[in-house]
Amino acid sequence: MRYCFYIGTCLLLMIVQTTVLSHSNAIGGIYDLLIPFVIFLSISLPVRESLPFILALGFVVDNLSGSPFGLYLTFYFWLFVGMRWIIKYLRAGNKLFLSLAVVVAVLMENILIMGTFAFLGPDGQLPEEAVKNIVSQIVWALFTGPLFLLGFLTLSKRFNIQLNGAGAAPKP
Amino acid sequence: MFSKKMVLIVGGVVLITVNVILLSVTSKSQSTSAFGRVGLSFVAPFQEFVTRSVRFTREIWEHYFFLVAVSHENRELKKSLNDAIEKNTQWNELKLANNRLRDLLSFQKSLTHRVIAAEVIGKDPSVWFKTVIIDKGKADGLQKGLPVVLPQGITGQVIEASERYSKVMLIIDRNSAVDALVQRSRARGIIKGASADQCRFEFVLRKNDVQVGDTVVASGFDGVYPKGLRIGQVSDLSERSSDIFYEITVTPFVDFEKLEEVLVILHPETEALASEQ
Repeated sequence: MRYCFYIGTCLLLMIVQTTVLSHSNAIGGIYDLLIPFVIFLSISLPVRESLPFILALGFVVDNLSGSPFGLYLTFYFWLFVGMRWIIKYLRAGNKLFLSLAVVVAVLMENILIMGTFAFLGPDGQLPEEAVKNIVSQIVWALFTGPLFLLGFLTLSKRFNIQLNGAGAAPKP
Repeated sequence: MFSKKMVLIVGGVVLITVNVILLSVTSKSQSTSAFGRVGLSFVAPFQEFVTRSVRFTREIWEHYFFLVAVSHENRELKKSLNDAIEKNTQWNELKLANNRLRDLLSFQKSLTHRVIAAEVIGKDPSVWFKTVIIDKGKADGLQKGLPVVLPQGITGQVIEASERYSKVMLIIDRNSAVDALVQRSRARGIIKGASADQCRFEFVLRKNDVQVGDTVVASGFDGVYPKGLRIGQVSDLSERSSDIFYEITVTPFVDFEKLEEVLVILHPETEALASEQ
């Protein structure tokens, strides 16, 4: 049942991102909404449960996107590794961590994409609107990223409490 | 002398006669007596009070029921209005869709190739890549490499096809390249994606005649897009002294922000268009 929640949330985010947000000009260059979800999975599920899920997620997004195949798979995997490493030193609920995790991840994803443009692209040039888009994504991530993360953590906690009784939330 | 009964009858007749006479007399005169006015002045306030109270109570009662009825009616009207607005919105959507589909149909007739209409159901999750997902796939005859067009011009090409859905790379994607010609001077080059709403027209030699406003069409040499399909208009042109090529910006005719339905050319051949657009 817990997995239904994760799959449902993931599907919802993916659909919102590829339909609603992509048709709204006002939203502009919003970041990859699956980043907060990958961070949430990395810090709240055991490795054996979160890693296959994250890899599957990367595979699906790679299929939906026109990016070089494997770009999202690669990024989500390394984001997972990075988050697992960070939570050895920082508590997952740490406010500083929540505020910066999504921003840093968005920045890293954009650096990876710019890298593919520069090294694998047809002309080796960066897009003209690169700076504008990255700044826009970081600003969005700064304000909404922590909210998403907190939302996922709270929902997951409540969901687990409802399903398994108090204190049954999975520990990483 | 007279019986009692007789007296009563005569008395009654006299009384009636007098009464009739008095009524006849008083009916001709509208003046009231002072006693009558006093009576009126005394009774009327009570009458007024009672009447007004009754009327007030009745009005409150009636208004209450009236308001309840009005409130109910208001609710019904609001519901009807919402339904009407919703229907109107649907009708407008249908009208717009109908117009778009009519355009597609008339454009379809102008093509010599077999085409299939598809609906755009999703866009790329990343802002950096310009692809869309359409609701037709291998089951409908689509395959990788088929051109996707609109009456306004070339839209992109199928880069991946599953059984029921396909991924289309738009011509504004950085990985897209279309062999193209300037319609007026036949100057040849490659159209490449540059940004959200513009393309670059590369490898056009400076010896060729190109002007801002020129229409750029597909050359057909890339084996993907049929020759003559419109792409866009030259919106900016510059020459670097050290370069043998122009730097040309082309604004596509297709508005990629409003992409809803597209046509996929199933069997592109290197034929010219049946009619000029």
